[in-house]
Amino acid sequence: MFRTSCAAAIVSLLLPHFSSPAFAQADQLQRGAEIYAQKCASCHGATGEGTADNYPEAMFGDKPTIDLTELIATTMPEGEPELCVGDDAQLVAEWMQSAFYSPEAQARINPPKRQLSRLTVAQYRNSVADLVESFTWFNQPNDKDGLTAKYYKSRHFRDKEKAIERLDPTINFNFGEGTPDKDKIPESEEFSIQWEGSVVIDETGWYEFIVKTENGARLFVNDREAALTDAWVKSGDETEYRGSRFLLAGRLYPIRLEWFTFKEKTATIGLWWKTPHGAERPIPARHLSPQNSPEVLVVETPFPPDDRSDGYIRGTSVSREWDEATTFAAIEAADKMQKFYRDVAKLKNDDSPEKRREKLQEFCQTFAYRAFRRPLDDTLKKTYINTHFEDGSDTDTAVKRSLLAILKSPRFLYREVTGEYDLYTRVSRLSFALHDSIPSQNLLKAAEKGWVKDDKPLRDQAWQLVNTYRGQVRLTEFFRTWMNLERLDDLQKDAELYPSFTPELVADLRTSFELLLRDAVTADKDGFRNLVTGRETWMNDRLAEFYQIDPPDGENFKKVGFESEYRAGFVSHPFLLAGFAYRNTSSPIHRGVFLSRGILGRALKPPPDSVSPVAPDLEPDLTTRERTSKQTSPSMCANCHGMINSLGFALEGFDAAGRFRQTEQNKPIDVTGHYRMRSGEVSKFLGATELADFLFQSPETHRSFCRQLFHHMVQQPILAYGPQSIDELATSFAGNEYNMRHLMVEIACRSATHHPEQKQSE
Amino acid sequence: MNTRRDFLKQLGLASATLPFISNLSAFAASSAATTRKQRLVIMFSPNGTVPWDFWPEKEGRDFDIKPILKPMEAFQDRMLVMHGICDKLQGDGDRHMRGMGCMLTGAELFPGNVQGGSDTPAGWASGISLDQELKNYLQSKEETRTRFGSLEFGVMVPDRADTWTRMSYAGGNRPIAPIDNPYQMFQKLYGQMKDREHLSSVLDDVQEDLQRLSKIIGKEDRQLLDEHTQFVRAMEQQLQQDRSADLDHAMPELEPGIKEENDNIPQITKMQTELLVNSFMNDFARVATFQITNSVGNPKMSWLGIEETHHTLSHEPDSNKEAHEKLTKINTWYSEQLAYLTKRLAETPEPGGEGSMLDNTLILWGNELGQGNSHTLDNIPFVMVGNGLGFDMGRSLKFDKVAHNRLLMSIAHGFGHHVETFGKQEFCEGGALSLT
Repeated sequence: MFRTSCAAAIVSLLLPHFSSPAFAQADQLQRGAEIYAQKCASCHGATGEGTADNYPEAMFGDKPTIDLTELIATTMPEGEPELCVGDDAQLVAEWMQSAFYSPEAQARINPPKRQLSRLTVAQYRNSVADLVESFTWFNQPNDKDGLTAKYYKSRHFRDKEKAIERLDPTINFNFGEGTPDKDKIPESEEFSIQWEGSVVIDETGWYEFIVKTENGARLFVNDREAALTDAWVKSGDETEYRGSRFLLAGRLYPIRLEWFTFKEKTATIGLWWKTPHGAERPIPARHLSPQNSPEVLVVETPFPPDDRSDGYIRGTSVSREWDEATTFAAIEAADKMQKFYRDVAKLKNDDSPEKRREKLQEFCQTFAYRAFRRPLDDTLKKTYINTHFEDGSDTDTAVKRSLLAILKSPRFLYREVTGEYDLYTRVSRLSFALHDSIPSQNLLKAAEKGWVKDDKPLRDQAWQLVNTYRGQVRLTEFFRTWMNLERLDDLQKDAELYPSFTPELVADLRTSFELLLRDAVTADKDGFRNLVTGRETWMNDRLAEFYQIDPPDGENFKKVGFESEYRAGFVSHPFLLAGFAYRNTSSPIHRGVFLSRGILGRALKPPPDSVSPVAPDLEPDLTTRERTSKQTSPSMCANCHGMINSLGFALEGFDAAGRFRQTEQNKPIDVTGHYRMRSGEVSKFLGATELADFLFQSPETHRSFCRQLFHHMVQQPILAYGPQSIDELATSFAGNEYNMRHLMVEIACRSATHHPEQKQSE
Repeated sequence: MNTRRDFLKQLGLASATLPFISNLSAFAASSAATTRKQRLVIMFSPNGTVPWDFWPEKEGRDFDIKPILKPMEAFQDRMLVMHGICDKLQGDGDRHMRGMGCMLTGAELFPGNVQGGSDTPAGWASGISLDQELKNYLQSKEETRTRFGSLEFGVMVPDRADTWTRMSYAGGNRPIAPIDNPYQMFQKLYGQMKDREHLSSVLDDVQEDLQRLSKIIGKEDRQLLDEHTQFVRAMEQQLQQDRSADLDHAMPELEPGIKEENDNIPQITKMQTELLVNSFMNDFARVATFQITNSVGNPKMSWLGIEETHHTLSHEPDSNKEAHEKLTKINTWYSEQLAYLTKRLAETPEPGGEGSMLDNTLILWGNELGQGNSHTLDNIPFVMVGNGLGFDMGRSLKFDKVAHNRLLMSIAHGFGHHVETFGKQEFCEGGALSLT
């Protein structure tokens, strides 16, 4: 389940801190090479590339030299391990590290390069939305949560009948046979309410909105005219009305709920939703804002998923399905755009047909400039705009064709397809890195005016982008990918052991975890530190009951101390602990793989044979730790499991549902764990809190975090940006108190200013 | 708005499951005509009729044509005028509401919060309407399946969803909004064809630009662009092929810029009629509803020189001769619309079949009331025209207060869909009316 392909391991590069080769003498290396040639090359190939008959797999990885030495001494050559032991084994290992095995050596042999990329699916959708937005406006959440509510004494929303105006954090009311306020709305036979504001979205996907009422209601989401659910007519026993919208993360969408009761005995109204990964619940206040926002053009056309075989999403391949999707999406976008003509082209009612045509043609030119992220020369203007306006077509046809052509153009669909490197390239890279979208009008202007020539103004622009809601969401999306959250969707546990581990509880766990992430991305400082080592957890009553702590008092989530002597940071959050576990037992292996590959960034190959875990009832006297150790003891397994298990064991204090425990099978739980770093040094820790401290301090964590965040933001291999990139970023990260926003700015600027072609021009 | 969303949804779903091209060409396909096509149009006009200017006195063939049906005279031998058919549904809702909501469903309204001019408040109808029942029936069989199955046309239907503005139901509580904007209907019917035209015209330019870029880009990256170019070229070629296949299905030309306004009702009605006939020619659907205004419809037919509105006039007592002369004029205008539709179908040869399209189509003209001032649901002015269902046409029939559920059943049976009841069971007693 948590495997990635071998290919993932190949490119999953991490620069080591191992020191032996650096200090190895040239003659020692020479000696290592000779032994390798004699004893190893016949099977593994002259430089570890493998041989078809004996051992076809290429050898590379990130094990410390000491691990390689041990492996060679105990297992190699196959069948006759005694032929290469002691110093010989170490000399071979050192030579292998420097010649081909280590990530550095691999990077030297096959230097990674930036590749031409198309827009990823998310970039496509964001770019189309931002193209429209660039002609209108946008809004960001502020410190007020909830919707503006206006209560009326009749069923008509007339000002003179308005009785109450206030902010409602959530909408989930049961007025019974009464009214919201006896004094201001005395009659229960007829009254109405209108809620208005925006819905705040931090994850892209389909949202199902649910209006629950015994009365009449209408809901508008991201469309001010056409209701998403129209239940103005109350009919029969229906009390639930559903409608779905596809919404993009990092934005506000206008929402309006209108409701009335008339001659009905009782009155209720609830505004609920089901998020892409959540359970049905009233829309929480933090996702509602009383602020206004413009409609967003969201392309709903399904796209084939982007390539993720290297562990990060990127757009380096095209397919027929993708090309078709871009066609449908262009048609959809051009159709939906019609609604925005008035705003984007500043049309007026009294415009003559000629004036209207002129304005729309001008709009198409600006649209192309923003879509292509650089000015158009006359040839391009002709190809994409003027031909359509000069071939005798009516205005609407001309606009539509021009928009279709622009949206189907490689200049829109690809990144840097012209190969030019200038200030426009800079601002594009900055924007894609930090907002996953085309540069804003301001950024294009900064390029046009030459304002981002120097490092300082470029950095200022990056800070502006990172300090927005979109910037926050960009980091949140990274965490979701980094922590594999999308794989934890259908989390289930043994119903007999954990009868109250319900889908609702899982949704609460996810919410609690998402709130932890939100704290991390909104914190001005110490976000990373708190994420990795923080001692508080967001809990609601249901979670508190399941995890047997005092209820935090109320239905909302509160941040409380939760077994803080045993738990620290996100690795001991019950959502992840339960997620990386079996239905009825913990799984030190899943947890260990997550820690080693995900957090510490170690390359893991898939197990040579796929093995199912020994069922607990086959070894009734053993603890999970004992059972796992026993099953993975063969040297073939221990090669990787030595590292995996000893990380995962530190979390054995938590069972399959992430509950704390001190015994298993009547034996005390052993939570000792350790990790051998790439330098060969060993760190030991006891339980989750010491593990968290180790992770926070480990340079390997920092390097892995920098590398993975870079890949998430830039979508190109980091080593294509110079062999020192990871080191430099990690140093900067540590030097700036692990400030994640600072790191994002650093990454964005590094990618924006990178221009290897200058150095390597032939 | 809805249709555009449906259209996109359709595109989206199709693109996920079907190759692009088969999706685009899907609507051109027509099933092999092994048996003759059968079609149904249900036309609606509001506020009851003027009985003395509508009902023939004679029964049987060679009946007398009263003023309101004068425009239909040419089709007398292909018409059934059916007196004595009553909407017997009781329950919640005023009669304008029940008359509308029960007309095609034969089922009561649910209790609800829509308060009419009298009676208790009500909600939507509690059952499926005949047009949708037949659509489902025809769509369930390969040989009668069409691109849309049914189309719901409207003319000046007010922009509010309530019991007075909906007669078609996909099921209980599931009203279907008619499309009363001809341009919107055009987009629904021909939008894909238009989009293909647009696409063809831009793909050339895109290819040209791809080639330009391919020359300046690095060798390693060129492969990706070349791959992309191939996809674009393949699509363009396919579009060209499809285009030649489209020539049979000419798109109607709509006069641009007709606004949805009272005074444009005649023009909009004509445009919708043309789209309806055209959609049948292309076999986009076998069932259509054509809802001119709505229950309690209140247009001001100034083009007839009438300055009072229809519903207001319909409340005048029988003794008000002047008002009733106007009401006769108004109803005659609706009759003219029916005659125009009938004529268009009669003069259009059945594509791929025998005779005219009218030979294979049945039109039912209905109303939510029998007469406006009494609000009676008895003697709803039901008229049928066309030979689509093999009924024995050319007669004036006088029934003895039969429930209209039985008429709905007859139409279903005419399609070979032998329902034992339709709508409220107790009103189906006696079974389908025998019209053959």
